[in-house]
Amino acid sequence: MTQEKILVIGGGIAGLQAAAALRDEGFEPLIIEKESSTGGHVSRWDRLFPTQKQAREVIEELTAATAGIESVTDREIVSLTPEADRVTATTTTGERFTGRAAVVATGFDLFDARLKEEYGYGLYENVITSAELEAMFRAGRVTMKNGDTPKRVAILHCVGSRDEKVGQNHCSKVCCITGIKQAIELTEAIPGVQVMNFYMDLRAFGNGYEELYRRSQIENGVTYIRGRISEAGETHEKRIQLKVEDTLVGRPLRLTVDLLVLLVGMRAPQCCGSFGLPTQANGFFAPRDPYTGNVQSTVPGIYLAGTATGPKTIGETVNEAVAVARRIRMDLGK
Amino acid sequence: MGKYFDELMQDPRFREGLNACMNCGACTAVCPAAEYYNYDPRQIVDDVQAKDDASIEALLKSDTIWYCGECMSCRPRCPRGNTPAYVVQALRKLSQKYGFFTASEKGRQQYALGKILGDNMRELGYCVHPTRVVPSMHPEQGPVWAWVHEHDKELFARFTDNYMKPGPGPARAIDPESLEEFRRIFDVSGGTEFLENIERHSMKKAEELGMTREEYLEYVYTYNSGNHTL
Amino acid sequence: MKYRYANWQEYSKEIADDHYYYARSCIRQNFFPGSEKAFLDILRNDLGMDIVEDPRHTTCTGIGYHSDVVPLDTTMAIVARQFSLMTECGYENYVASCITSFGIYSEVLDMWHHFPELEEKARENLFKATGREFRKPKILVHTSDLMFHVRNKIAEKSVRRLVNVTTGEPLKVVDHIGCHYAKVFPKKGIGGAEFPYVLAGMVEAWGGQSVDYPERRHCCGFGFRNYLVQANRGYSVANSQKKLESMAPYNPDFIVANCPGCAMFLDRWQFTLNAMTGSHYAIPVLTYEEMAGLVLGIDPWDLGLQMHQVPVEPLLDKLGVEYDPSAKYLGKNGKFIGRPLTPADYTSARL
Repeated sequence: MTQEKILVIGGGIAGLQAAAALRDEGFEPLIIEKESSTGGHVSRWDRLFPTQKQAREVIEELTAATAGIESVTDREIVSLTPEADRVTATTTTGERFTGRAAVVATGFDLFDARLKEEYGYGLYENVITSAELEAMFRAGRVTMKNGDTPKRVAILHCVGSRDEKVGQNHCSKVCCITGIKQAIELTEAIPGVQVMNFYMDLRAFGNGYEELYRRSQIENGVTYIRGRISEAGETHEKRIQLKVEDTLVGRPLRLTVDLLVLLVGMRAPQCCGSFGLPTQANGFFAPRDPYTGNVQSTVPGIYLAGTATGPKTIGETVNEAVAVARRIRMDLGK
Repeated sequence: MGKYFDELMQDPRFREGLNACMNCGACTAVCPAAEYYNYDPRQIVDDVQAKDDASIEALLKSDTIWYCGECMSCRPRCPRGNTPAYVVQALRKLSQKYGFFTASEKGRQQYALGKILGDNMRELGYCVHPTRVVPSMHPEQGPVWAWVHEHDKELFARFTDNYMKPGPGPARAIDPESLEEFRRIFDVSGGTEFLENIERHSMKKAEELGMTREEYLEYVYTYNSGNHTL
Repeated sequence: MKYRYANWQEYSKEIADDHYYYARSCIRQNFFPGSEKAFLDILRNDLGMDIVEDPRHTTCTGIGYHSDVVPLDTTMAIVARQFSLMTECGYENYVASCITSFGIYSEVLDMWHHFPELEEKARENLFKATGREFRKPKILVHTSDLMFHVRNKIAEKSVRRLVNVTTGEPLKVVDHIGCHYAKVFPKKGIGGAEFPYVLAGMVEAWGGQSVDYPERRHCCGFGFRNYLVQANRGYSVANSQKKLESMAPYNPDFIVANCPGCAMFLDRWQFTLNAMTGSHYAIPVLTYEEMAGLVLGIDPWDLGLQMHQVPVEPLLDKLGVEYDPSAKYLGKNGKFIGRPLTPADYTSARL
């Protein structure tokens, strides 16, 4: 078996799993991570849907699987140059890495909630994102800015998803179930808290998701109101006033909560160059074929895995990362 | 497609205002009319996008399309780029074209609006004029306005030498030539015909109700059945 | 405290420094003639700007258009006539003294851009009716945009700041922007539709504190047909009440309004609500021209503050403005013209 070097751009769960699988296929993977450590978004999460497994366990498992694999951090790749039998990756500082092929596992950015100006994120201290709520869960304490425990929390779905006004027409896919999960966890963390989910369509599509939705209602008393919050304002007491329509009743509601959680969607990374690869309308990289070529780009030697091609769950991402290694082996031959 | 839908599509505001609605309610949530009236702009947009003639005709004859205040608060919020208020403007135009507006209480008010604003504009060149905001018709304006109204010449003289006289300044008299141009534009561009059409249909309705012109004007201006709010 | 919204500069539009064709507002001339006078006096006399006033312009039809009694083609042709007057006067920058008009002009220009056949038709109608032709304005702004643009120059010439002379604290100012300023085209408003900075920028530049409140973006309640037809006025007063209730907890020293109609409603409805519910907000309402005028030391009665329903004297006292209380009720030549009834007397006289 030849030891051919494969560049893995991105050290999130897709990159880690891809690297592990590439080694199993006999390649010599090199993980190139832009941040100072690997693990990506998942490493910042607390528990995961649908079983509430600790995110840490996923990272630990994948980190163990990549033990001994070479990785470099604090390197942001800005260009990929494919040639006949190799691909060269160049960093922001001009450093170059060359491999037989490259896997683009650059993932996603969380939608910048400030762009939805009408929710006052960044201005109103009790408007937070779902990622910030996870950080509070990890810290073991969910509070308002002043340290008080919230008694009434609203979770707003589709912030930066399904929204022409911010150039994000796509569905981010994982937010519905994240909202359900976070609602449950809020009721577990704060006895007696009232949690409301504001949604347009509850897309509980995955295995165990609908069951979690049901459980949140029956066991945790989470309520669901079908309407997209149109505006958040800060009251004199620093609570958050919401304007929304209960569309199933057909009446506008005005209500005040202690904490508003914005379920921020997935956005194509704004940081990296597009690597000269074609993208889809939603900004994510375009796979060669969305049926049989999901892990290939249209450029020979450059492969794709995980949320680089669009919103995905952890399970789907890890599967793609395994698949991309197999695909590369099939393309390059033994 | 239905006949009314096709006709609505001729209106550029309708084409701009209606893309595709996913019924999220972001419009209704901030709508001042929805807060006050039994009214839901989302449902109007959803109704018209079904392109059904019967339901559009029902809308054209209803109070529903007359609640909107055209504040445009819905416009910046819609995640699908619709503007319900534009859809309403197009519906109102069609309702008046076919005379359907006289079938509803709020629609009938177009007579008062056409009369007051039409007269103000074509006689004075203004939509509103100090002399025409009569305290008896506008009790809500309060005592200071009643005082201003009574002493308009003395008060306005502090700010202009040309109150209701030719020349520049606030509430000046607009010169006859400009007023004539203004009226001719109304004639040429369909504005006069539009107002006459409102008048025609309204007088037909007045006759049906056995009212004189003056009685009908008073009626549509002041009558409130009280059936519009929850 | 500095205005918290740091991103307003993402919404900044092109504002020409000078040479404007000025179009008055129907409502502002009616209810705030002193504001329009102050605008012209300040910009022309204090800042030496060239702003032409042309008596031939008419209403833009905006109120009629939004009451749905003027068809789009007519409004477009009337707008075309205003542009033709501007062209004839040799100007290419247009400043409108009214939010509704500003919205109308912006919408018409946008529609002409997207549907050139509508512009053709407007040109045809205008020519047929008047023989006129026109060029579109290069720059279209609202009067508050222009005042925002020169806010620092005004600050340099100011005789006082928006500060309470007794406590030394900045005055707390709540603003009301007027829906058609930026909700129609967020990019055409300074600061955008959600956190417009046009008035807050003036307040800050002149030493006051801009205070956010939950219903800041809510409509004042004009709603065209909803105020103009007596039977519908409940809508109007209910929405203004919502705003006043929302700002009251902050104890604002005054409201500054961008839009002629809004300034009038927020002022008048305080009287009406008092008569209806006994509420007593007593928050003075200023136009931005009046605010600028006070900062520059113009006499309050020359600004037309005597035409306000809510008494402005408490605000004048906070600002340390010296004024002659009796001059409030004088006509041009110093003739006493009587006083308005008190709200209580007015209400009981009407019952």
